[in-house]
Amino acid sequence: MMLGYLEAIITGILLGSLYGIVGIGLSMVFGIMRQVNLAHGELMILSSYFSLLFIQLMGLHPLVTLFLVLPIMFAFGYLIQAFLFNRVMQKAMEPFLIISFGLSIILQNALLLIFTPDARALKTALAIKSVDVLGLFRIPLIQLINFAAGLIVLFLLYQFMKRTYLGWAIHAASEDLSGAKLMGINPKRVYCYAMGIAAATAGISGVLVGMTFTFYPHSGTQYLIIAFGVVIIGGLGSLPGTFLGGMILGISQLVGGRIIGPGFQLLSGYLILIIVLTIRPQGILGRR
Amino acid sequence: MSKKKIRFTIVIILLFILAIIPLWASRYVENVCLLVCAYMALASMWNLLAGYSGMVSLGQQMFVGVGGYTLAVLSMYYGLPIFLSIMIGGFISVFLAILISFPIFRMKGVYFAIGTWVIAEALGICFSNWAYVKYGMGIFIQPSQKMSMSTIYYAAAIICVGSISVVYLLLRSNLGLALMAIRDDDVASEMMGVNIFRCKLTCFLISAFITGIAAGVLYLNTVFIQPFEAFGIGWTVNLLFIVIIGGIGTLEGPVIGALIFVILQQFLSEYVGYNLIILGAITILVIFFAPKGIIGTFQHKYGFELFPVRRE
Repeated sequence: MMLGYLEAIITGILLGSLYGIVGIGLSMVFGIMRQVNLAHGELMILSSYFSLLFIQLMGLHPLVTLFLVLPIMFAFGYLIQAFLFNRVMQKAMEPFLIISFGLSIILQNALLLIFTPDARALKTALAIKSVDVLGLFRIPLIQLINFAAGLIVLFLLYQFMKRTYLGWAIHAASEDLSGAKLMGINPKRVYCYAMGIAAATAGISGVLVGMTFTFYPHSGTQYLIIAFGVVIIGGLGSLPGTFLGGMILGISQLVGGRIIGPGFQLLSGYLILIIVLTIRPQGILGRR
Repeated sequence: MSKKKIRFTIVIILLFILAIIPLWASRYVENVCLLVCAYMALASMWNLLAGYSGMVSLGQQMFVGVGGYTLAVLSMYYGLPIFLSIMIGGFISVFLAILISFPIFRMKGVYFAIGTWVIAEALGICFSNWAYVKYGMGIFIQPSQKMSMSTIYYAAAIICVGSISVVYLLLRSNLGLALMAIRDDDVASEMMGVNIFRCKLTCFLISAFITGIAAGVLYLNTVFIQPFEAFGIGWTVNLLFIVIIGGIGTLEGPVIGALIFVILQQFLSEYVGYNLIILGAITILVIFFAPKGIIGTFQHKYGFELFPVRRE
């Protein structure tokens, strides 16, 4: 019995790392632009389908398709920011929300039209392999890959923000917009790069999610809510908070699912989310 | 004629047209008018929250689902009269709104939007795991007494006129003044003695009630209710489209928007798969080129309002 809970907690932590990558793009965009991108889930699922396309056309391994999917998603993110979002940046929150919502509807239905509503998966040999943990229970290998990928993404983004000129520019534009402008930073271009990076992280999470679970054209909504959950529990705009949020959400889903029943896995995640929203709306590690 | 007389005449003519539709219209036209009326009511309620009270809700579908399920359960399981079931659906929506108002009103802006959406999704999961409402399979809705199209249409028309009048009267009352003050500066208005929580709660409860009964009437027209459709975000997507196209924060916006939306939907229904893509594209274009919507742009240009909510 205790072993069951231990297994749920460990799988929850591994799943939480994947959720961290799911949420990190949303968190970045909020931290830098103070805007919420409702199309984030669709960007993820779009990259799952891109990966599927490359696997079927060229017979690549899903992890190898990342080298193609990431540049495409970066370009896609850059372009939607340049042509859609930059036009409403100065206004209030609603226009951005509504445009990203419109974009998510368009992407979702375009995917539905092209790929039919069938369930898809990025099949690999990794999905069936598993690792023995001290002879107590087995963990799927793919979950360990997700965990490692989460740590790598967190490390790289952290280093990027700390060490590169673009990272400083992004930081400066989010801290003090007019000050950054005076220093010769073009905020619109910075926003484009930031959205490109956010879309690229969505690309990573899209490929990993596609390898771990099945996906449909409308899966984006579900992952958008997961991303919200992660980001809100951890605190919007905080990098380490995002991963903490992912772990909390992952553990609460799996442990909750074990207590109430597998049908309620998502529900227990939502409950934690609502409780955090009520008690501490700015998130656990978030600033006011 | 003075502006007041012109307004009065237009309103009387509109009401007259609404009243005589069943006398001449075909079944198809009547059905379209029913949809228009029901969507007008739903969109006015979303507009009351997002346009006037600063609460951008993405969870209106929770009241749609509750209204629809109440109708289905009460009329099919217990054989209650249809319109009584619909009214009870409205009251249960209000009860739900009161229940969630404590956590939900602690959230502001984006957090409010996400919070309402998550609650609606959570309710959808609960209903799809609930044996009493047959899990995700859904329940048949067949009115226990046979109902004519005209009866359903009149019900929708009454709710439509009722909801618009309620919003009009509300905005002309002290509450409307308070809402405007909150929208412009919430801290200052609170210092002047406006009770923000009570103002917002009043709007939220009214919107829950009317959304619940309007959804009940809409579901009279369908045969089936399923949790992921009833509690799906698609409802709020439609309302958002209607209000943005028509003009957010105007009384006439949802009216024009609903008319355009339903007619567009009828035309686009031939192109399955493309219709939502086109709706999404139109929404983005409207935000770019007419951010105030059709009515907002019109009012800005000609300075005429059918239902002025600002006092002269």
